[in-house]
Amino acid sequence: MSAFELVRLALSRLRSSRLRAALTMLGVIIGVASVVALVSVGEGTTRGITTQLRSLGTNLLVVNPGTAVSGPNAGEPGSATTLTLDDAVALAKIAGVAAVAPELATQQPVIAGAKHTTTIIIGTTAAHAQVRNETIWQGSFLTPVTDALGLRVAVLGATTATNLGLGANAVGTDIRIGGIPFRVIGILQAKGGSSLLNQDDQVIVPVAAVRSQFVGGTSVRTIGVSVASVNQMGVVAAAITTTLRSRHGILAGRPDDFVISNQAQLLGAVSSVSTLLAVLLAGIASISLVVGGIGIMNIMLVSVRERTREIGIRKAIGARSRDILLQFLVEALTLSLLGGAIGIGIGLLLSAGIGQIAGWGFVFDPLTLLVAAGFSVAVGVLFGVWPARQAALLDPIAALRYE
Amino acid sequence: MSAPLISVQGLSRIYRTGRIDVAALRQIDLVIREGEFVAIVGPSGSGKTTLMNILGCLDRPTNGHYVLAGTAVADLDDNELARLRSREIGFIFQSYNLLPRMSALENVAAPLIYQGMGRRDREARARAALERLGLGDRLAHEPTELSGGEQQRVAIARALVTEPAILLADEPTGNLDSASGAEVIELLHELHRSGRTIVLITHDGDVAQAAERQVHVRDGRVAA
Repeated sequence: MSAFELVRLALSRLRSSRLRAALTMLGVIIGVASVVALVSVGEGTTRGITTQLRSLGTNLLVVNPGTAVSGPNAGEPGSATTLTLDDAVALAKIAGVAAVAPELATQQPVIAGAKHTTTIIIGTTAAHAQVRNETIWQGSFLTPVTDALGLRVAVLGATTATNLGLGANAVGTDIRIGGIPFRVIGILQAKGGSSLLNQDDQVIVPVAAVRSQFVGGTSVRTIGVSVASVNQMGVVAAAITTTLRSRHGILAGRPDDFVISNQAQLLGAVSSVSTLLAVLLAGIASISLVVGGIGIMNIMLVSVRERTREIGIRKAIGARSRDILLQFLVEALTLSLLGGAIGIGIGLLLSAGIGQIAGWGFVFDPLTLLVAAGFSVAVGVLFGVWPARQAALLDPIAALRYE
Repeated sequence: MSAPLISVQGLSRIYRTGRIDVAALRQIDLVIREGEFVAIVGPSGSGKTTLMNILGCLDRPTNGHYVLAGTAVADLDDNELARLRSREIGFIFQSYNLLPRMSALENVAAPLIYQGMGRRDREARARAALERLGLGDRLAHEPTELSGGEQQRVAIARALVTEPAILLADEPTGNLDSASGAEVIELLHELHRSGRTIVLITHDGDVAQAAERQVHVRDGRVAA
């Protein structure tokens, strides 16, 4: 019996019991659809994180203060006040460092005309643009002049500008930050990225302005260090450690009072976690594929029982055991493949929808489809063989007499 | 005299049920020549159905020789038996045994699938077979849409479509009213006149009268 005949026979059989075929396929449909959708969700998040990683700059080292051992925030990471603006100046002199930008931060209400929002105000220097990989969309960024004079000027993040109703021609308008007037000199290009870590909602002002208006003292929250080349990351990190330890007068054997983190490594770890999560989800989804396969096996076994007489007749008119085996196997395969195809379609629709909502767009990996299709074939064969064998091994005489 | 088409010698069939062996057939000798119309007659339990199963290559004898159209059947494996059924034997059953949810045409064409024949040829031959039996207007009907007599005629068309060496009819009139039964018997007569070899298995002595020779089976033996 040719493959073509077998498929035609299977299809006509499935057409004659549409509802049963549809219900049987449902398990495979759900399984395949969820595998496809979840794998694409996993890839979407990974891709989003990778994009962010690039936007942060891969050669960024971030120096944060260590943990305070006394005071109101004792024990919290970054609570120490040991990092100063002078440290930042010292770090800029290290070989291999391309730029250094100290950061002070404070949360303040921002008002522009009738609109207002509350966001993070970052006090920093002109080097911030290079260190944090910021590009200007309108106007200009901070300059050495604004830094030196501590002018009350502000560069708005894209989201902040939108929240304040400020567009392309907003450069030169006045806003109030914490009640104090600032002039908008620029708006940043949007970086995008997840709501988890929105880098577009911020206001950047000269460090001196923050110190004079909002927070006193000389300690900074963060020092961002841009390394000239990715290969020098380790060397520069070691040099920073040496410099800061000597500046802070830390004796040998005592722990650092600061933490250097490598942004790339951090995000790499996050992305590998999200990949792991995606694999885990796909694993859970594939359980429903197995359940779907068992559903197919169940129906095929019932079908063999119901069609015992038909099997007997077919054997009497010349079918070999192999013909019967193939007939039932192809039927199971047709069910699982058809289910798989519908599942892939639904899975793609789902992942397109989720991608649209989550903002990473339609992530499509042909490999996933190949794997999903392969899975459905495997399910069909795995769970179809046994019922088909049962059918093939029936004794024709007993089968003919079966009522 | 024409050549023997079926030659059975010393054939027995023993069923093993638990520890007791039950002999359904003992030492059967039988020769059926080409073109003969033979009735195998016996009461139920006589072994005639077992004999038909063996003659029809659905079952193998425990002992003895069976040669069908020049082939020794006893040593064949399942695939070779299936091949013999496909080429040499046409079955007609008491309960018609048509495939459900398939049209008369598909039913009659079904045996040809297992001979590897293409669809166009299959349907042409099935159509011709049905038309020959006066069912040209029933091609698309499914078994449930046909009367008993029509169903049995479809079954006969299916048995004939492969041009088998022998027709095996097992109580072909058993489920039919007397008029339809008479029609079927008349049909078998016609087929015999056109040169077919027919073996009719029945418990009904009247039906057996239709054949030109009767073989009586009792307690697993051929009665004299």
